[in-house]
Amino acid sequence: MAKSNLFVNGSEGDKAIVLGNEAIARGALEAGIGYASMYPGTPASEIIAVLDKNKKYVENLYTEFSLNEHISLHGAIGASWSGIRSLCAMKNVGLNVASEPAQFLAYTGVKAGLVLAIGSDPGAPSSSNEQDDRWYSLHTYMPVMEPSNIQEAKDFTKDAFDVSEEFSFGIVLMAPSRLCHNAGALLFGNIRDRSNIKGNFKKDPENYLNLFSLAVKNHAKYLERNELLKKYLIESKFNKTVNDGSSKIGFISSGVIYAHLMETFDILGVYDHKILKLGFSFPISDELIKRFFEGLEKVVIVEEAEGFLEFQIKKIAYEIGFKGNIYGKEFFSRTGELTLDDVISGVSKFLEKPLPASFDFAVKKDRELSDKLPQRSGTFCIGCPHRSTFYSILKAVGFSNTEEKERDVVIAGDIGCYTLGLLPPYNAMDFLTCMNAGLSIGQAISNFDKSKKVIALVGDSTFYHSGIPVLLNAVQNGADILYIILDNSWTAMTGHQKTPTTQKDIDGKPLQNVLNLKDLIKSLGVSYVKSLDPNSVKRFSSQIKSALKEPGVKVLIAKRECILQEIRRNKSLLKNGANAAETGESLYEIQKSRCVKCNECFVELACPAIILKKDEDTGGDYYYIDPASCVKCGVCYEICPNSAIRKVEFDIKSEFKLDGKPLEITV
Amino acid sequence: MKKFNIAIVGLGGQGIITMGTVMKNAALNSDLQDVSGSERRGGAQREGYVETFVKYIFYENIEEMNNPRKNMHSPMIESGGANALISLEPLETLRGIKYLNKDSIVIFNKTPYIPISVRMGKTKYPEISFIVSELQKVTKHIYYYDIDAISLEKFNSLTQKNIIALGILFAKAEIPISRTAVESILAQGKGAENNLKAFELGLNL
Repeated sequence: MAKSNLFVNGSEGDKAIVLGNEAIARGALEAGIGYASMYPGTPASEIIAVLDKNKKYVENLYTEFSLNEHISLHGAIGASWSGIRSLCAMKNVGLNVASEPAQFLAYTGVKAGLVLAIGSDPGAPSSSNEQDDRWYSLHTYMPVMEPSNIQEAKDFTKDAFDVSEEFSFGIVLMAPSRLCHNAGALLFGNIRDRSNIKGNFKKDPENYLNLFSLAVKNHAKYLERNELLKKYLIESKFNKTVNDGSSKIGFISSGVIYAHLMETFDILGVYDHKILKLGFSFPISDELIKRFFEGLEKVVIVEEAEGFLEFQIKKIAYEIGFKGNIYGKEFFSRTGELTLDDVISGVSKFLEKPLPASFDFAVKKDRELSDKLPQRSGTFCIGCPHRSTFYSILKAVGFSNTEEKERDVVIAGDIGCYTLGLLPPYNAMDFLTCMNAGLSIGQAISNFDKSKKVIALVGDSTFYHSGIPVLLNAVQNGADILYIILDNSWTAMTGHQKTPTTQKDIDGKPLQNVLNLKDLIKSLGVSYVKSLDPNSVKRFSSQIKSALKEPGVKVLIAKRECILQEIRRNKSLLKNGANAAETGESLYEIQKSRCVKCNECFVELACPAIILKKDEDTGGDYYYIDPASCVKCGVCYEICPNSAIRKVEFDIKSEFKLDGKPLEITV
Repeated sequence: MKKFNIAIVGLGGQGIITMGTVMKNAALNSDLQDVSGSERRGGAQREGYVETFVKYIFYENIEEMNNPRKNMHSPMIESGGANALISLEPLETLRGIKYLNKDSIVIFNKTPYIPISVRMGKTKYPEISFIVSELQKVTKHIYYYDIDAISLEKFNSLTQKNIIALGILFAKAEIPISRTAVESILAQGKGAENNLKAFELGLNL
């Protein structure tokens, strides 16, 4: 976003490069929202983050990072019933948690417009599944809008509030990560007057009390509203037909896949087929489809995932007696992200048009090379306390990365930055599904397989999301399990939102109402609870070892702040003229002469700041701590079995005084 | 309609996303122009593969801009569809090879970042000579530098390497947007002074 802060001050005629997520947020702002909430989740996080960051410049805007999606969507419903236009955002799997309020929303309806923006994640680059939330609407009856580009992300969101109010549905705005994280040009509109955004809850028992025969009545009412919406969608501006060709083949698509499709036609030089762009992928009007099908012999549905459009359109085709053929998933994969390449290949196969030579050559070249290239997976940041936690756990259970033996401890994974611990070199998770599955599944395993110890992991934010009842359940039912809470004080993975145990703001200001996690856990009936610094790996590791010997539920809190936040705060403190930064003034270096390349730091701890260097004299390799990337956490220094890593301390103040002269170094 | 596609690849933390944002912001001057392109963010973590696409679209006239068959653009670049590829990590250049065609210009940084699989001794990191010879099978226009070393030497930091790479891009390829537009975006941003120097440095490499 440009410096003049167009996000807040922009009006009709302004143009800027924005992220898809920011465009959605801007659309909501133009529509006059007074409420915005989410539980953060990639790829949707920036939708609420940008509103939260700017709320001080916007009149009458409430933002909330809720503890989970169930609470967040309920909050949006409460705001809507108070007459406030409300935006709720979440990632695809968030709707599983929020499915309960979503189920009721059609029954009760909305008062002021309500939009639920969902960031889906085909290909699962940041998720634990690929679920397509559009299918929920077959039973929640929430209408689904799918913008194709940045401009539509803003425009559809803005319009969605009007549609929401007119038909009394909460509207789902679906944006896959390709749109959430698309950055492109946006033309702004004007913002609705914000001065009279004021809550006024009016009782409406007929709609809001949803029980027994009242619920049945409401059920009938929303089916009626759904029919009205279908009628509206026959000629609305959201569904568009491109009908200037003479071909008897028609293509139907929606969202980002429509953008892939249009570019595909341009690349293949194909301009004569009829095209239907569905801005609403639910509900779909029978009449709209009937009109589109006129004169067509073949229809191709181009979409991602398992074929939500195809499912609905084939049903409509049967009902209206369409005689032609409908194709879809035969040409486009049900799994993984549907890329521009996939659409080009699928369309070219269907139309039996040759692929462009450069495309064909590039695809073959990539296929030939990709198996030969070393895979690259993400890992913990340099200095991340989670790395120390995984190292400590593996040491405590007597496991090394380089041995091929079976680990006899079950490690239950969960969702957060620490999920990366399941990747090499740690391989320290035995299962991973959804949030708080770790302890839930783990406690059952501990009941049924007494031959193995079970360790369940959870991050602070995930614990507060829905872990408290799981822990209470484990205590109440006598589970035998070690629960490690990796408390880094932030919801780090999604851009560092605060958690209830965030103690200091990024500018160093202490926060109010900080939860005492240890007290909370004690109050749930856990008597074995200890809080430790995971970077003291030897101490932490032996603590894990002794905890595993104890019966019942044991809780260890690995307490150390996310290193990125610590570094950011130190930078801002230094900039603001504070006397001392919080990190120590020291350097770590590997002494070539003492290092025997035992691999404890390079492979077992696997800190990326420790790199392999070529020795110009001998031609061999040696290990080296890269001072440009090392953040001086000191963990490698603690674990080196040969004392080959040296800590060099110096006085940063004298460094400044000595400007230009060599440093005084004390070892 | 004319298109110009730039693919930028590398690792989380190298400033890939910033490069894309600068290049896109430098293209807002004309009404008959569109700009698009998505990012693949490797979660919040370091060391993961990150790519960003910058797609410039220039319409011939208003009719073309309003034609639904012409005015909708994918956020991705197709295989063989990049006019230029910038890679801030040598191995990742080969992962980006799919975007290249015989006329593409490739600029890559030859400082390797060793993946975990290599660290554990399970695979081997390819030699620079192998990377270059594979690229040569597709295009002749290949330029590579130790951009990490240049950034460290001139700025005592790795932060400027992405902007140095942008400077190299402008020196080696016919980019359909102006240098001064990029410079004015850099001048408005954080660390303007060093970034302008870094851009200039890249231009003269």
